[in-house]
Amino acid sequence: MSTAAAEDDLSPTGDAARRRRLVFVVLALALPAALALGVSLGSVSLPPLGVAGSLLAAAGVPLEPAGLDATGETILWSVRLPRVLLAALVGGGLAVVGAALQSLFRNPMADAGLLGVGPGAALGAVVAVSLGWAHEVFLALPLSAFAGAMTAVVTVYLLAHAGGRPSLHGLLLTGLAVSSLAAAGTSMLLVATEEFRVRTVLFWLAGGLEGRGWEHLRLGAAFILTGSALLTALARPLDVLSLGEEEAAALSLPVHATRMGIFTLASLVAGPATALAGSVPFVGLVAPHALRPLVGGLARRLLPASFLAGAVLVVVADLAARTVSERMDLPLGSVTAFVGAPYFLLALRAHEGRR
Amino acid sequence: MSDRPPPPALEARGLVVARGSRTVVHGVDLALAAGDALALVGPNAAGKSTLVRALAGLLPPAGGTVRLKGRPLAEWPGDALARTVALVTADDEAPPSLSVVDRVLLGRYPHRGPLRPFTREDHGTVARALGQTGIAPLAGRRLGTLSAGERQLVLLARGLAQEPEVLLLDEPAAHLDIGHQLQLFRVLDDVRQRGVAVLAVVHDLPRAAAWASRMALLHGGRIVAEGGPREVLESEAAGRSFGVTIRAHEIPGARDVAYRFLDQPRPSRPGG
Repeated sequence: MSTAAAEDDLSPTGDAARRRRLVFVVLALALPAALALGVSLGSVSLPPLGVAGSLLAAAGVPLEPAGLDATGETILWSVRLPRVLLAALVGGGLAVVGAALQSLFRNPMADAGLLGVGPGAALGAVVAVSLGWAHEVFLALPLSAFAGAMTAVVTVYLLAHAGGRPSLHGLLLTGLAVSSLAAAGTSMLLVATEEFRVRTVLFWLAGGLEGRGWEHLRLGAAFILTGSALLTALARPLDVLSLGEEEAAALSLPVHATRMGIFTLASLVAGPATALAGSVPFVGLVAPHALRPLVGGLARRLLPASFLAGAVLVVVADLAARTVSERMDLPLGSVTAFVGAPYFLLALRAHEGRR
Repeated sequence: MSDRPPPPALEARGLVVARGSRTVVHGVDLALAAGDALALVGPNAAGKSTLVRALAGLLPPAGGTVRLKGRPLAEWPGDALARTVALVTADDEAPPSLSVVDRVLLGRYPHRGPLRPFTREDHGTVARALGQTGIAPLAGRRLGTLSAGERQLVLLARGLAQEPEVLLLDEPAAHLDIGHQLQLFRVLDDVRQRGVAVLAVVHDLPRAAAWASRMALLHGGRIVAEGGPREVLESEAAGRSFGVTIRAHEIPGARDVAYRFLDQPRPSRPGG
């Protein structure tokens, strides 16, 4: 039939599709490589073959000579592995959220941090820590971070759209104002927080994965994987939404309900991610922004690719945070900011240049 | 004229539409039958875009009714409505990173919804829409690399991919050069001949007159003239609405009519 031939012409099997496949293959190889580096390197280096042996043994494939010595086993299983996996989850989740918010705000420069999600989550989490809920109530920390993130992003959305579709400036400035407000709230709480908790809060605000174990990983996985999977499942509505409110409505998309659903899922990912790793800025901006020219703007491809790229970025950033200085761990959030902020400024410049 | 006319595909009765607190459309009666080619014309700020959006079900009526195939718009489920009525506007707001084929494929959303995968049938429909609008060679290109005119044709292709029974267009030729304009109106003729009811807001009056089987003139939110294109353009109402005198001249040996637009109401200059 002619339709079949036409379809073959159209389902882009050409250069674009080849490039997309290549990007996914590279990302799919880069993630295990980054994870392997992440678990092997650190203040104490573990031999990669030993790590592989120990992992294979745990998977039921014992090798000779067997894995690592006892100390190595402890470092691998109690310290490195949960930490590195959590870094991957947090990075992947934040990148998916960034990509989804960029579609929703119809702006390639949107990001969870710039739209108040990060600072909102931070405020929510600090409330939970300083009131002592975080230690007393199960799930209080991720849930209040979620509530803070959701409040912030919905506030930015409502304020920015109050006078019609906002310009990029309008959007970023509104995000800045709400972020500052959230940060001010965080500072006020910090002053009022009992001294023995202040250090915890400060350390946590700088962003970091130190001391994160399996229970954190389980918690993060539950929220971040579920939220990211649901956001990816909503790829088509996201794409329809990116066509603009009027066209989306004309194509029968329930615009308002879809937006609220995406805000909820984005906060469900970004809130707990921030609660577990502190603030990790710019990952949600850099990963999708860099991938869009490579895999195209369709959310169905951009979101999964962003997850992989975000995971690689944060695993590597966490590795750098642990290893750059011999005397101390750098805050993870500072590392991503040192890389992400210049990237953002360059991208902003290019974006403005096109107008 | 003894047969009862078929029920209109789309019909507005006493339609009043407000934008915020301002009433923009004041009691419009308009009917569109299958195979119609209706040009909606009028001066700037006449309410044309508002009327078209109300007919598409995007703006709720503040008074009166809009019926699609005899049933009020409000009673139509959203997806069924979007499978029956398509709206094509002048400006494409899609992200520049989307490819043409992916963008047109999103026109199949009303047929598949959020989760069901697109089928061979969807891809076939998209291929036909791209072919019909003459942009098949652009299928793999990104929207950001296209001209404004090409993007407008992509929008039209998205509208065709919806496979609507009623096609509403708001200034679909705004960014098109003359070649693309002819292509556009050829496509609209094609679509109309297959029984789709087509209503287009057109600014270029001679172009509108050459294409349309009927013309409606909107002024101040009211239809002030309706009928054959020449009849409407030569009417006193048209002169008043646009502030010009419109003269039709038959071209010997051609079916087309040439129009001249003369300043009004100053005394006419000889040879003007």
